Amino acid sequence: MTSASIGVHASRLADLDLVRRLKDPAFLLLPAIAFLAFIYLLPLIDLIRISLSGPSWSSYFARVFAIPLYWDSLVRTMQISVTVAGLCLLFGYPTALLIHRSRGITQVMIATAIVLPYFIAILIRTYAWMVLLGRNGPVNKLLVSLGILSEPVQLLFNRGTVLLGMTAVLLPLMVLTIYSSVARLDQSLTRAALASGAGPIAAFWRVLLPLTLPGMGAGFLLVFVAAIGFFITPTLLGGPGDQMFAMHITQQADSVTSEGFLQALGVVLLTITLAVVAVAGRFLGFEFIWGGRKLTEAAPIATDRHVADVGRRSFGASLADLIGWPLLRLFGRLPASCGTWTIRLMGGLVIATLILPIIVVMIISFSSASYLTFPPPGFSLRWYEQFFSDSNWMRAFWTSLIVAAMSAGIAITLGASAALGIVRSTIRGKSAIMLLLVSPIIVPPVVLGLSLYSLFLRFDLVGSVFGLAAAHAIGGLPIVVVILSASLQGVDTRLEQAAAVHGASSLTVFRLVTLPAIMPGLAAATFFAFLHSFDELVLTLFLSSAQLKTLPLMLWGDINYRLNPVLAVVSTLEVLLVVAGLVLARPVLATSRKAA
Amino acid sequence: MGEPAALRATRSGDASVRTSPTGRLRERDAIGSSIAVREAVKRYGSFHAVDRISIDVEPGEFITLLGPSGSGKTTLLNLVAGFQSLDSGEILVDGKPVHNVPTHKRGFGMVFQSYALFPNMTVSQNVAFPLRMAGVDRATAERRVAETLEIMRLTEHATKSPSQMSGGQQQRVAIARAIVRRPKVVLMDEPLSALDRRLRESIQIEIRDLHQTIGSTILFVTHDQGEALTMSDRIAVLNAGRIVQIGRPLDIYRHPTDRFVASFVGESNLIEAEILQKRGSTLTMKNRAGYVFSAESRDTIDVGRATVLVRPERIAVSNEPTANSTPVSVTSAIFLGEILRIEAQVEGGEPLLIRCTDMADRPLPAVGDRLHVSWGAADCWVLS
Repeated sequence: MTSASIGVHASRLADLDLVRRLKDPAFLLLPAIAFLAFIYLLPLIDLIRISLSGPSWSSYFARVFAIPLYWDSLVRTMQISVTVAGLCLLFGYPTALLIHRSRGITQVMIATAIVLPYFIAILIRTYAWMVLLGRNGPVNKLLVSLGILSEPVQLLFNRGTVLLGMTAVLLPLMVLTIYSSVARLDQSLTRAALASGAGPIAAFWRVLLPLTLPGMGAGFLLVFVAAIGFFITPTLLGGPGDQMFAMHITQQADSVTSEGFLQALGVVLLTITLAVVAVAGRFLGFEFIWGGRKLTEAAPIATDRHVADVGRRSFGASLADLIGWPLLRLFGRLPASCGTWTIRLMGGLVIATLILPIIVVMIISFSSASYLTFPPPGFSLRWYEQFFSDSNWMRAFWTSLIVAAMSAGIAITLGASAALGIVRSTIRGKSAIMLLLVSPIIVPPVVLGLSLYSLFLRFDLVGSVFGLAAAHAIGGLPIVVVILSASLQGVDTRLEQAAAVHGASSLTVFRLVTLPAIMPGLAAATFFAFLHSFDELVLTLFLSSAQLKTLPLMLWGDINYRLNPVLAVVSTLEVLLVVAGLVLARPVLATSRKAA
Repeated sequence: MGEPAALRATRSGDASVRTSPTGRLRERDAIGSSIAVREAVKRYGSFHAVDRISIDVEPGEFITLLGPSGSGKTTLLNLVAGFQSLDSGEILVDGKPVHNVPTHKRGFGMVFQSYALFPNMTVSQNVAFPLRMAGVDRATAERRVAETLEIMRLTEHATKSPSQMSGGQQQRVAIARAIVRRPKVVLMDEPLSALDRRLRESIQIEIRDLHQTIGSTILFVTHDQGEALTMSDRIAVLNAGRIVQIGRPLDIYRHPTDRFVASFVGESNLIEAEILQKRGSTLTMKNRAGYVFSAESRDTIDVGRATVLVRPERIAVSNEPTANSTPVSVTSAIFLGEILRIEAQVEGGEPLLIRCTDMADRPLPAVGDRLHVSWGAADCWVLS
């Protein structure tokens, strides 16, 4: 063999190598990463840069913490968020158990009662509470007719309603997170505890609770992080004394003079959020954010702690001997139905809290009265007529549809490609990439909106349909990536290998095997990405213009301006949209869950 | 499917020991409870998972519920355990009704198919759990856990977490947890089905030995007939929510009451034959191919047709015609190690399954070979 032929051979090998590398699925990650880098990371970095651009780097921050208004608001935000997360945990856990323990059609009904509100816009669910608790609302009417109140009182606009509203809005998140950790447990563990002589309460305390602790932690933190950035609910349900930190950012955003200071406010909120997530991720694994399975092999469970426990006769152990175990045995004497009834009662309360407001709003949309009152004096379709004949509402409706369709298109294209890249490639740092792709979920929307605003100003995108759709796709992308990577992981690679062995090209394999298998996931992801954009309000508040009004924006304006039944009409239509989507997606979700 | 021929060897080997279960019980201290299930019914909608089952389990007995999936065996076990409640009927333990007692007060031990070890506790904490729930103080509990781990040969694993152990070890921990309180009744729900064959066989023996030592009544559920034959004092065969037959393994295997039991337990040839003549307990019968053979029957049938069970290992094979043999042609022959498994067609009759021991002078037949088969009156069992 001559040296020339070796050279040719080598270069051909190099070519092959290059082709192989270009075919690496890791490249599929590039579009999504580029998109996020430009429209998500860059603005956030810019936000931080501006916040540091004062006379000294810390001057804007010094101002934030020097003003009691902001400091108090920060403390209040923490207090409210911790309380809400605690309430969600307290009521969410029994509800998750209720779903887990019920069977058949009952289970489907309960699960739907939890999931349905989860997909309805926060704005609409908050509005429903305003209707429910309003002066002419059913709660006031009921209290008066029972003789508890002599005349209707103002129930709204206080700390209690803020806590109630936020808890109700965030409960589904908690329930679903805990449920997934309960459902993952081997059912026979509880039975084993019972067979070992543990009463229901002891089995719960010694087995179920410790094993679902990570799920509870994840739920608590997810709710807490979401609550920190809350803006819509406290604005609508709170009084002057219930200002949350995110609300200051939107208020300041209206005054142009506060450049730098405004960004510092955003950075403070962002830093707190990221710090909480970082600490949580350290203990729970960052997978808790998207509730997914680890993409890499799970590390073996650390057991050193257990080993240490055995040798040590700690104070805790003797305390357990003295009080804990006897107490658990004592509880074993309680009739087994106690626990069951606690779960049913609390779960029932949660379901009522989630569903009743929606039902009341749907009924009110058919009211014949010209103002909000429940029960309606009569029924008519006048508000539907008004909605469909009002050109402003209709224009907003179409704008929303177009923006949502475009946004879903962007999210599904980038997200599907990224999901393929992350599941099928063998690159290192998958967790970090997944974290980047999913991170927009945890960034407070107010901060994201603020950062995007300056980017949009620079590129003259404010008020453009495409810009708004792209901005909404930032939040749609994580949804798509999470759903599709789960369904891709569910695809049996042996099927693909079987197709390839029998002569299918890689494109044919994708078309005939992979695509049909992930089709349900693809459909669900598209729907949820669409819904995300259709419901989006906070980013839109920053990025729209007088000419470009979406449906949530119109709603927002009207809620602040006048509470009338047209809003109930829009809410009812939204509920129907979500119900239709869920009904269509139900077989899809069922199969994807089976695959996962 | 196990190795019926091999099992048969063991069975007939210690048949003399086993003929009297009550006699055997005297050999150990019978601390187990008696269990009586009376007319138990459990319905799911219109489906009768357990359909009026009655069964009496003697103190200290090892009884196996054997049946295909959906036969109601696991439901019956769950009813005894108290995980599900009876629709009607009753369950008595030592003569006292327990069907309204919650599970945790029944004081049983239980082993699960999935092991169900608490992942948040170490091996010794898992085993200590039933003792702590029973109110045993820490020192006593530790001593008894150590004893039990010793019996199960798990002492060096005491501080491990279940996830660090192999399937076989995990199941031994689960057994340790079930017996640590020395319960009068131990329930086992297909405890070996997640293990590979070798491990399964060794733990089968371990459970048998353990039963001898602790003397608890054991109610064991399995769908594996080999397992049931190896381990049990008695087997209850279930089908469609009812007990079809209950008896010692030997009786179930040799004298099944119907086609279901005959074909579910062990491999079988079920031959339709006409009764030509009856003399004493001996029937003279003729199959469809015209082969005339005699069969022993305890039953009173004397005319008409009957189904005859001939176990594949009871069929004698030779290359030359012998007295009272019938020719068959081989349709498949497989070498299984110590055994040859031959499928053959009786000319003009039904297919036959034959298992014969591998011997030096017996070559593996080829497809199409002609063989001559025969069986004696004692090798047949006439199904009623």
